[in-house]
Amino acid sequence: MTRFKELDPLLHSQLRLAIVSLLISTETAEFTYILEQTGATAGNLSIQITKLKEAGYIEVTKKFMNNYPQTLCKITPLGQKKFVAYVKDLNDYLNPDKPDK
Amino acid sequence: MEKEEKMMSGEESLRIITEMINKTKVNIRQGSFQLLFWGWLILVCSMSEFLLYKFTDFTHPYYVWFFVVPGVIVSMVYGFTSGRKARVRTYGDMLYMWTWMGFLIASIVLFIVHSKSMETVAPYILLLAGFPTFVSGFVIKFRPLIIGGITFWILALIIHFAGPSIAPLGVPVAMLTGYLIPGYMLKYKVDHDKI
Repeated sequence: MTRFKELDPLLHSQLRLAIVSLLISTETAEFTYILEQTGATAGNLSIQITKLKEAGYIEVTKKFMNNYPQTLCKITPLGQKKFVAYVKDLNDYLNPDKPDK
Repeated sequence: MEKEEKMMSGEESLRIITEMINKTKVNIRQGSFQLLFWGWLILVCSMSEFLLYKFTDFTHPYYVWFFVVPGVIVSMVYGFTSGRKARVRTYGDMLYMWTWMGFLIASIVLFIVHSKSMETVAPYILLLAGFPTFVSGFVIKFRPLIIGGITFWILALIIHFAGPSIAPLGVPVAMLTGYLIPGYMLKYKVDHDKI
């Protein structure tokens, strides 16, 4: 359990990492799209999105589209920065002899 | 992805990142509509102009190009409404859309600059049109569209150097090679791959 202590604990979780990885290459993504792509349950996804939102990694906007509620998620500059740092730390861990300086 | 706090290995983290990034694709369904819509519109306009010029006494055969104006409106309304309905908007979608918007703006400028010699505007339009077609092919990773963009540039050269009897057919041929053939191939791919 100690070998990943340097990795961002908020991102080092399957579903949260999947959410942020999806959002890193999108401008915006709807809740149902993330649900479909990650294969998570709506309840669990909602909890993890709230955690990421509270940490300032993502923005969540709610609006109506043809009378149906729509939840749009977007990664923030902080979220992008944290994701890049996570990938760098991961790379350092996977390639300890070739640190990415 | 239910056991949220389960320990992940480095390889697993990397797999999740790669898998999720690969899932975000450009909305190519809209791309096929636009290619077919514009391919047919320009094909009909260019052939009508050619036939009116060749077989009638109509003094202003280029009037048929005014159909492009409602075409721009239809295309933009379709793009706007399907963009609003899309559940995800990737950076690829944005690059795709703004490349074509850039082409539209460049074309308007070209028509204004070239307004007094419209009979020689075709190779310049193909020169411009080749660029978004070529780039879009790379954005959606679809080779027929990349080749289509290249054919626009080849046909621009052919129109420039060919005699007046061949040149008017350059634009309809370009619509076939650059928009309609790649457009139908893309539509087939979308319908069969359920993208």
